[in-house]
Amino acid sequence: MSAKQRLAQVVGIATVGALSLGLTACSGDESGGDDLTTIGFVAVGPEGAWREANETNIQDTFTEEAGYELKYAPATNLDQKSQIDAFTSFVDEGVDVILLSATEATGWEDSLKRAQEAEIPVILLDRGIEPDDTDLYVTRIAPDNIEVSTAVADWAVSAFPDGANYFVLEGPAGVSVVNERNEGFDAVAGAQPSLVKVGAQTANWSTEEAKGVVETVLKSNGNDIQFIFAQNDEMGLGAVQAVQEAGLTPGVDVKIATIDGTKNALTALAAGELSFVAEYNPLFGETALDVVEKVLAGDEVESSIVVPSATFDSPEAAETALPDRKF
Amino acid sequence: MSESLPIVEMAGISISFPGVKALDEVGLRLFPGEVHTLMGENGAGKSTLIKALTGVYRIDEGEIRISGEPRLLGGTADAQHAGISTVYQEVNLCSNLTIGENVMLGHEVRGAAGINWRATHRAAGETLEKLGLGHLNPKQALATLPLAVQQLVAISRSMVAQCKVLILDEPTSSLDANEVEQLFTVIRSLRDQGVAILFVSHFLDQVYAISDRLTVLRNGRFEGEYRTHELDRAQLISKMIGKDVDALKSLDAKGARRVRSDAAPLYSAKGIGRKGAIEEIDIDLHRGEVVGLAGLLGSGRTELARLIYGADRPDTGEVTMNDEKAEITSPAKALARRIAFSSENRRDEGIIRDLSVRENLILAVQARRGWARPLPRREQDAIVEKYVSALGVRPADPERPIRLLSGGNQQKVLLGRWLATEPDILILDEPTRGIDIGAKAEIQEYVAGLADDGLSVLFISSEIEEVVRQSDRIVVLKDHRKIAELEGGQGVSAESIVNVIAEDGLGDPSADTAVREEVTT
Amino acid sequence: MSANAHGPFEALKGLVRRQYFWGIVAIALLLLVNLAKDPGYLAVSVGSSGNLVGNVIDILRAAAPIILISVGMCLVVATRGIDLSVGSVMVVAGAVSMEFLKGAPDTVGSGLAAIGLVVVVSAALGAVNGMLVSVVGLQPFISTLVIMLAGRGLAKVITGGQNTTATNEMFRWTANGHVLGLPAVFLLALLLAVAMGLLVRRSALGLMLEALGMDAKAARLAGVNRRALLFTVYILSGVLAGFAGVFATASVMTVDVSRTGYQLELDAILAVVIGGTSLAGGKFNITGAVIGAILIATLDKTVVFLGVSSSATPAFKAVVIVALCLLQSERVRRAFRKRRSAVAVRPAEREKVAA
Repeated sequence: MSAKQRLAQVVGIATVGALSLGLTACSGDESGGDDLTTIGFVAVGPEGAWREANETNIQDTFTEEAGYELKYAPATNLDQKSQIDAFTSFVDEGVDVILLSATEATGWEDSLKRAQEAEIPVILLDRGIEPDDTDLYVTRIAPDNIEVSTAVADWAVSAFPDGANYFVLEGPAGVSVVNERNEGFDAVAGAQPSLVKVGAQTANWSTEEAKGVVETVLKSNGNDIQFIFAQNDEMGLGAVQAVQEAGLTPGVDVKIATIDGTKNALTALAAGELSFVAEYNPLFGETALDVVEKVLAGDEVESSIVVPSATFDSPEAAETALPDRKF
Repeated sequence: MSESLPIVEMAGISISFPGVKALDEVGLRLFPGEVHTLMGENGAGKSTLIKALTGVYRIDEGEIRISGEPRLLGGTADAQHAGISTVYQEVNLCSNLTIGENVMLGHEVRGAAGINWRATHRAAGETLEKLGLGHLNPKQALATLPLAVQQLVAISRSMVAQCKVLILDEPTSSLDANEVEQLFTVIRSLRDQGVAILFVSHFLDQVYAISDRLTVLRNGRFEGEYRTHELDRAQLISKMIGKDVDALKSLDAKGARRVRSDAAPLYSAKGIGRKGAIEEIDIDLHRGEVVGLAGLLGSGRTELARLIYGADRPDTGEVTMNDEKAEITSPAKALARRIAFSSENRRDEGIIRDLSVRENLILAVQARRGWARPLPRREQDAIVEKYVSALGVRPADPERPIRLLSGGNQQKVLLGRWLATEPDILILDEPTRGIDIGAKAEIQEYVAGLADDGLSVLFISSEIEEVVRQSDRIVVLKDHRKIAELEGGQGVSAESIVNVIAEDGLGDPSADTAVREEVTT
Repeated sequence: MSANAHGPFEALKGLVRRQYFWGIVAIALLLLVNLAKDPGYLAVSVGSSGNLVGNVIDILRAAAPIILISVGMCLVVATRGIDLSVGSVMVVAGAVSMEFLKGAPDTVGSGLAAIGLVVVVSAALGAVNGMLVSVVGLQPFISTLVIMLAGRGLAKVITGGQNTTATNEMFRWTANGHVLGLPAVFLLALLLAVAMGLLVRRSALGLMLEALGMDAKAARLAGVNRRALLFTVYILSGVLAGFAGVFATASVMTVDVSRTGYQLELDAILAVVIGGTSLAGGKFNITGAVIGAILIATLDKTVVFLGVSSSATPAFKAVVIVALCLLQSERVRRAFRKRRSAVAVRPAEREKVAA
């Protein structure tokens, strides 16, 4: 077989692979009327339930009935380059507004400057950029991680008046979300001498890994842990199972608090397995719509807009919220 | 020649492997400006001694002095540092690099920005030129060259490392007469420049043509060191095998020609061919007959054998076996039809180095059964027992990795592997290349016996005399086509075949008629 | 494959010469480190449900999926190949079973049906690998890389990008149940590993694979059917990864499309290498791969037990593994031996070599 043939095969196979990946993330809307406002949405794409709810909500808000044509461009496999390509082509097309949820915080200056030169306003959704140069974009719309995790800590302080040993299940080391959630939580919990942190470990947002981590942590501490703070719902659900396997009762022996507020977590909260769920609200379509309308009308907007998030601290609260849960 | 001081002096060298004493107090002296030949049968310890000198093996006892200084050779790098350069028995190059890169490997010309490839290739070209290999393009991939030419590249490589001692372990085993002459020219010029050359070969003519001094080993012991002109061939052979010369005479006595039955051929190919390998050819093979393939290197001998075995897929032609059409498109299909093929490239296509003798022996039988039907250990042992003793494999330890055996014994194991499949047709491509005279005779005798037992043997060798001796019928190939088919007998000799080859071109004005082939014995 | 072992001493000596011996040493050392932190680390007690409970039991349970993919990897590596897709096959297996069980009744039957479905799907993915390698002739690295990337995408398609959760007691039992007090998941993994071991060593598959891995050209001329062997081996690796995926998802009854099996191919490759199988193909050692897998599970658990901080975890693991690879390296060992023999008397040294 000649080298050329072989190369052709490799390219062919790789293309097939890439296509099959691309298929998972394709639902762009190409049609549109002439008098519609065009919005380019540089999105993250499939990442999990939260992201799914978030992006579906945006797409459901900027509809043709509302007078918009939304061009949805999810990243290929969370790759920043594909996002930059999509961003650039939106600028070249001359869309009216660009919404950006960046997979990576850094490396956006050039693209944002091009948009600025083309006088296209850019609104950041959820994810921020670094360095955070507020001149380069109009505003960032996101729930506040620090605020959300502070709510968890506040609850913990009130739930354990006699103090407790606690453990933190973190997301992957170095991710900004993890740092922010630690920051908000530690500010409150760290100031409370009765709350003793016995350790923190990453479980990479994963249920399975969280179960394995908690299983070992319970043993290394002789089951003397009263509270587990899981930085997302999935890990919290893994912690529940590990606690059960260890012969303890979640909610009674060990209370578990999580962030995100997915349907699964609220179901577990309703069943008493989780004790506290702080929502990290993904539904900011309405807020985004407001902002876009203001920007197009030439009004000033704040450089940072916090999406309000709810908290659920009892099975009853969870049951009430469950029927309307979108994610 | 003055008796100057030896550059290499090995004395009292002993090396043991688990269970075997490979060398027992052996000595060797190499003098500058001399070609010294190391003689001995397979397993006599030639390779071991060379590996001791090149630092591959550590010696248990004895002393190696280089230029009078005792040296501890802890690895090949030490030996190279001491100016000892080696060309091994089997070509040992990187086939995915270019010719030039192989020649210059480790001695690339460096410029300001790393390796200067242009200059490196130029230097490689100069080295090749010196060797009369100027027609080779240094930028060509090595893998595209025939094995024989690769060998010459290997030799030129060792010349780049400016060595004081050059070891040539069987350099001529894959060369034709012309190439041998080329090589000898170079060896002589190196010798005249004062390089000490250690030469190993099984071709007595070559040994007498090139060497000044001989050391004979037998069974890991030192038999003696002689001036070449002081020892005649008969004496040399008897020293090597430790037997009287008359015992050898029987080797050459050709048994009576086998009478071929007039029955239909076992195998019959009509017009099989493959583009670029061999033109359409007809060939019949009968039971109880040895058919020889004669021709010069590159005439298409191996290509034809591979086509018959299905190692390469034929583009054209039809094959019938036992009067029915046969599709032989892979080795597995050939084995299923009881055709076996022993490749000329023992190292790359024959033995599997890290498997044991037993595993190598049963591999083809097992492959034909498929992995789901393992050969019971008792049957394995029976096969191993049978062929190890019938072929005289030494050492007779079936669990030893085959790489630790000498070339001749590896070849015997391979022969055993194919015989164990109980083939009807056995194709032997260069079965005696690079092995010593004793093993060679044993294999030749065994092959003749096989035909007597009703096998059909296709025998290929670059030594035309060997083909003549072995074969009942000889197919002569030239330039990838069949030019003649001769019945063996009194009228056929190496000379007459050479004439057939030489005259073939005369009728064809376009062909290059200069056939300079001399027959090696 | 025992080398004429007479008596326990020779058996021990034989063990020391095995490459995976250092894997065992490393496991022992890690356990010792844990023991130093908590003297009760190795204690195994009978839990409330009558099952054995302890850190060691957790390690065995965590090792199960790694054991399976390592055994599969070991066979592929023997043919001078590599299977980067095992982690992705795991997530596809998890996605298929969770999606199936989500809509199925909580019965033993549907649990078994889910496992059956996984076997079919993972065998199919393995067959694609086998086809790309043996028929199309792509390099194993590229072929399985394609499946590695496409597999995770496929899992996302199957679950619609969600982390799917389901309930099925039988399915859950495979990862959380117990047999005779021991974790069923470890026993199942061991059973599959032993079955593989018997399959390759009792049949001629092992010999064929080694022949193919050592010298493909020579093996082909000896009539070895390369294509069928490669298909077999990639399908086996796929199915084993499928089982690993079942175990990983059954543990929490959730498939996490972005995390299940993520980067486990690297763990499997490490386990294989630690177990003494060269990535250059040829001789392979399934026992070694199993020990390598247990070592990796021990390492993961140790990191958590010691409370190594998340950011330092990768470095900690790397140091342990590099140290182990150094110990196994022929060159380093020779250097050790040289130092020792400089002290020892020469004849004694020679005797040791001859033994």
